[in-house]
Amino acid sequence: MDYRERFEIKDYRNERMLGGRIGLMHVGVIVLLVFFSLNFWYLQVVRGDIYARLAENNRLRRVVLPPTRGVIRDRAGRVVASTRPSLNLVLTRESRGDVDIQLRRLAPILGVPYVELKERHNRMRGRPLFEPMVLKVDVSMDILARVESRREKFPSVEVRQIARRSYPEGDVVSHPLGYVGEVSFAQLTSGGEGPGLASGDIVGKAGVEKGKDDLLRGERGLEFVSVNNLGRRIGEGRIDRLAVSGGDLGVTVDLDLQRTLMEAFGDEVGGAVFMDPRTGEILAMGSTPSYDPNDFADGISREVWQSIQSDPRRPMHNRAIASFYAPGSTFKVLVAIAGLESGAISPSERVFCNGSTRIYGSTRLCWKRGGHGWVDLRLALAHSCNVYFYKAGQKMGIEAIHKYGAMFNLGKPRGLDIPGEAGGILPSDAWKRKARGERWYPGDTISVAIGQGLLAVTPLQMATMMAGVGTKGSLPYPRLTTDGAREPSELQISQRTFDLIQEALADVVTEGTARRAQVEGYTVAGKTGTAQVYKMSAGIDADKMDKATRDHAWFAGYAPADNPRIAFAVVVEHGGHGGTTAAPIARKVLKEFFVKEKTGSGSYATASR
Amino acid sequence: MRRLLDSLDTPTIFAVMSLAGIGILAIASSTAKQPGRDDLWKMQLIWILIASVAAVVVVLVDYHVWAGIGMLLHGAVVALLVLVLFYGREIGGNKSWLVFGPLRLQPSELAKWTTCLVVAGYLAHRHKETLGLREILELGVLVGVPMGLIVLQPDYGTALIFVPIFLAAIWLGGLRWKVITAVLVIGLALAPVVWTQLKPYQQNRILTVFDQERDPSGVGYQVRQSKIAIGSGGLTGKGLFGGTQSQLNYLPAQHTDFILAVIAEELGFLGGAGVLGLFYFLMFRGFAAARTAQDRLGTYLCLLVVSWITGQVAINVGMVLGLLPTIGVPLPLLSYGGSALVAVICGIGLVVNVRTRRFVN
Repeated sequence: MDYRERFEIKDYRNERMLGGRIGLMHVGVIVLLVFFSLNFWYLQVVRGDIYARLAENNRLRRVVLPPTRGVIRDRAGRVVASTRPSLNLVLTRESRGDVDIQLRRLAPILGVPYVELKERHNRMRGRPLFEPMVLKVDVSMDILARVESRREKFPSVEVRQIARRSYPEGDVVSHPLGYVGEVSFAQLTSGGEGPGLASGDIVGKAGVEKGKDDLLRGERGLEFVSVNNLGRRIGEGRIDRLAVSGGDLGVTVDLDLQRTLMEAFGDEVGGAVFMDPRTGEILAMGSTPSYDPNDFADGISREVWQSIQSDPRRPMHNRAIASFYAPGSTFKVLVAIAGLESGAISPSERVFCNGSTRIYGSTRLCWKRGGHGWVDLRLALAHSCNVYFYKAGQKMGIEAIHKYGAMFNLGKPRGLDIPGEAGGILPSDAWKRKARGERWYPGDTISVAIGQGLLAVTPLQMATMMAGVGTKGSLPYPRLTTDGAREPSELQISQRTFDLIQEALADVVTEGTARRAQVEGYTVAGKTGTAQVYKMSAGIDADKMDKATRDHAWFAGYAPADNPRIAFAVVVEHGGHGGTTAAPIARKVLKEFFVKEKTGSGSYATASR
Repeated sequence: MRRLLDSLDTPTIFAVMSLAGIGILAIASSTAKQPGRDDLWKMQLIWILIASVAAVVVVLVDYHVWAGIGMLLHGAVVALLVLVLFYGREIGGNKSWLVFGPLRLQPSELAKWTTCLVVAGYLAHRHKETLGLREILELGVLVGVPMGLIVLQPDYGTALIFVPIFLAAIWLGGLRWKVITAVLVIGLALAPVVWTQLKPYQQNRILTVFDQERDPSGVGYQVRQSKIAIGSGGLTGKGLFGGTQSQLNYLPAQHTDFILAVIAEELGFLGGAGVLGLFYFLMFRGFAAARTAQDRLGTYLCLLVVSWITGQVAINVGMVLGLLPTIGVPLPLLSYGGSALVAVICGIGLVVNVRTRRFVN
């Protein structure tokens, strides 16, 4: 074999050198592998626990199990808010199917333009891939069938079931109930909103939903699930804590009265409260225009939100509790009480009204040009004579008015169990000095005596005052739930005064300014009012004032006159005279109330829980 | 023929088959939950069969014959490496594949095998016993040409394997200690200068080796996930198919370059160190074959194959442990990949070849 000869090494002097170098190389290999083994030992045995924990952190993701929110029922037990399963059509973004073609095919089925779907899809960029894009919430069976029948054309489309807050009555009960939404960043960081809130929680945003959120919300559950490197859930999870459903809740509202009230308002803008004067339970609370809380149930669309926000009539604003208005002549009830109690006027004292009077050097007009002639307290209230009350106010002064106004809680929130209750203004010398840096002039009192000027109350406050008058001195704490009920506060006012006022208020409806509020077979007591538009410059948030060019119409009272079981206040913005616009609204609700009471279809003793 | 079979190196073959078998299990485990990849272990099994057939051919033909046609084969492989630059298929950023119908070939893997052949031939064939500049340069050409072509692909990981082969060649060829010392001293002195010449991302890549928290999502992410996989395996591991890091896809390139992390996670320290032990056994057999070879050619062949496989193991394990920057180097015999498997098994085939013919007839 000659090829072997070619490679034969002739000189063996380096034989030892090679042997040594092979040995060193062998040692090098051993050192290297031992070094690696020590590394493995260090990572796996010495620091194994730390890495095991890191691997668990990688793998396990905490998944929040949302609780089922409690059901809300009206006082007759009818469901007004519930959580129901809803089907969402979603587009998964992990799979490889051509999204564009699918969106193009979906557009006509969903009735949404392709460009809009595309834009929404683009907006998902940057979100984790496992998060699907919601194509349509609460999808109909019709659409579902059309998608399913061409399943192979939509590889990325899936149907997911979610819990959705549902308000079967739509915009009818929206102001008492409020709505829900994802907890806001501000709410999370304030900390004061109750512990245990986490990002993504659904919480009440207004009304009872917010006021009783702690009760309704329930408790989040927690599940640990395995996720892969893309964050997608793999396999079954381990439930750490089950979600606890929220408690069910009854509200004091009577759905029939509420519906009647909202219908009676029609296209008018305003607010109204109807309550049981003995307990303060609110039977109906309306504010128009209203909004549909279902729109908020699963992330309101930008278009709807904008239309609500840009509506100058502010549908989200609860006028029954959050708007304040000059009370107009309804305030004369309070002035009469203050006059009688302070002794500034007496029931039999008569004043001559010829249509106007001069006080402190200026001419003050009565609304009736020809004047009322000789009027005593009862006639003055029934026919709302301004001249009588100018003079009464002049005699008693602002401090007496303030004292009795405060007693009836005017100009202050009374702790309603839903958020958003506004205060208002019940003026005094001290208040004016503080708010305006100016002393109280006697002339200011003259305007206040007929419910104008520096004076602002909410429909809720006026209804509460009427409840106090109707019950002859026990002022209830109005509320929408029976939870945490409080006993009415007793007013230090004589029964004789209430007798006089009640007689006069019954006259208002039978022969006075509110004859349109008469309900056949029942006596209604009340007082109309016309709130003049006026400008406030200090002491009050200008935003909260409702701008107006026409006077606001008031009607407030209670019924039946001799044994009141319902007290109310109705305001119609720019409604002109209270007798013409506000009284008929009250009449419709009162009529429904009495019909229900007679047929026994409503339970008015206590609200059901 | 009969004697050939009698003197076959069964322990070596057993070690190779054990490592390849562990590799199959690890590939099956790490791809079990990856749609479209869960059949890769079967592919690997087929490649093992192909490699075994090739290895039989390598063993049957006397290694002197292989060395005799070494330059021819090396030239052919270099030609393929040139070809791949123009007609190669790009996969994973490297234009390193030649595609013939269903067969995909990586000439760069074959180049390691032919390089060992020609370098051993050169060392055994040379006329001088010392290693002068001329010899170093000639060795440099033999190793450098395929390496340079592979750098052009650019597949730095594969190219890097030629460095230990070259170092082993000059070491075994008798490079003087004086020169070795001088190079080491100059190298250490120049290191800071080289450092300043590196681009920031290159510096970052090296720094990440020392401090994995530098960039947990970028460069360090792979290494971090690899270390978590290894460390969480503990002493005995989470069980085959039970590794969370691998089953849930946190490990990058888990069936190829990071296969050892999968083994360490699922089989623990015992698995990881066991694989290293099997590799040591393989190297040990290589050294033994080198010492008992009938001639220098056989000795050089065995030792060059040992340096190749050791170098590749060192770079891969160093990377998986986070001691070296992340470069794409597969773990011999275990990582998924046909060409690499065939090349390594044929390399070991040369060692078996030398051992089988240790007695001069």
